[in-house]
Amino acid sequence: METISSLSCCSVLPIERMRIMVLSYSEGSDIIIAMKLENEDALDNFIICEKCFTLHEEIPLENGTKACCSECGAILYRYDSKLPDYGLALSVTGLIFFILANLFPLVQIEILGHGQFITIPKTIFSMFENGFYFVGLLCTFLIFIFPLMIFTINMLLFTLLKMKRGKNLTKELLILLAHITPWSMTDIFLISILVALVKLIGYAQIHIGIAFWALMIFVMIDLYIVKRVRLFDIWMLRKRIIFDEDIK
Amino acid sequence: MIEIDEDKLIRCPVCGAVNIDKGKENRCRRCASAIYHHKSFSTEKSWAFLITAMIAYVPANIYPMLITKQFGSEEGNTLLGGVIMLWEHGSYPIAMIIFVASILIPVLKFLVLIYLLISVKYPIGKDKKVNKHKLYYMTEVIGPWSMIDVFVVAILAALIHLANIEIIAGMAATAFALSVFFTLLAAHAFDERLIKENK
Repeated sequence: METISSLSCCSVLPIERMRIMVLSYSEGSDIIIAMKLENEDALDNFIICEKCFTLHEEIPLENGTKACCSECGAILYRYDSKLPDYGLALSVTGLIFFILANLFPLVQIEILGHGQFITIPKTIFSMFENGFYFVGLLCTFLIFIFPLMIFTINMLLFTLLKMKRGKNLTKELLILLAHITPWSMTDIFLISILVALVKLIGYAQIHIGIAFWALMIFVMIDLYIVKRVRLFDIWMLRKRIIFDEDIK
Repeated sequence: MIEIDEDKLIRCPVCGAVNIDKGKENRCRRCASAIYHHKSFSTEKSWAFLITAMIAYVPANIYPMLITKQFGSEEGNTLLGGVIMLWEHGSYPIAMIIFVASILIPVLKFLVLIYLLISVKYPIGKDKKVNKHKLYYMTEVIGPWSMIDVFVVAILAALIHLANIEIIAGMAATAFALSVFFTLLAAHAFDERLIKENK
């Protein structure tokens, strides 16, 4: 087993560290061949790196630091005591910007005196109107339904965690979130808008609308909340909260 | 007290919790989702999705992606044709982005997945040096970016809708979207633990 290389560590987590009994060492390295656990729940104190599948034991982290994999350097988990607060704040902000991005025109063009603008829903509907049902359906899910779901779920999740309620509901929400996060593609859509606009330079006059900026902010929040705050961190947060409740 | 080997510990693909490999029926102790472990058809699902994706990629390259109707005349552009046209017009960065997103990434992803699927079943002598976990992780990360072309077509078709000039999406848009969709499914269906078993 590898030890976690972290920026700094001290005992702040209420999780009691599990006692492992090392049965045998292989020659010259500290790889544990077999280990004893008190019960299956003790496995919560271990983490397997998602990139290289190395087993690590979890260590308590100082506020605002992260633990990295000693093999490949990938981030394993972070600890931040204010996670539910800014998680909730950011998901509400994101939701507001998402609504703005859908209501207002994204871009407006002018060709030979004729003007035309698009919004996100209009882009999707035009695919359906032209008979491209599969592409339309795919776009609906990838750039509308899934991002909306992710932010609504995040909002609900962090509210529940802050209220320290919904033991089973938070679990279901987290599972749902794990299934839909790989399918949210607003960031790719934003780049696509830029590519499409560059293609049009020279043919038309382009005016960028309010929704474009709203979408840009939304994508930034989306990147932060989906890519930086890992689902594993939320699972750990949930466990800590339940653990605290059980003690009381 | 339970005594287990380190090798027996597996990661739940949904929630990331560490589980004990119990053999046939593995359910995550935290989120209760199935952790696949079927020895008899471990790679078949992924193969099926991958082959579908490769079949869909053929019409995506043959048929036009964008059809431009300008003052009565119609002009179709295929995937590669669009890239070449952009290159000739001098927009090199955009040509590069489209080329990477819609040709390089899908083809690379097909090759990497084929390699992974074959190598986990029939280990080839020298490939122990290749970091397959990293390879798989990379395909997962870059995969969705091939959707750029589909989105661009959707945006252009919605935006250029005037009396004299009109852009319509072509057959290839559906085929390409299908291809990307099935490659993503193939990558998700691939059981990462097979890599570890053959190490």
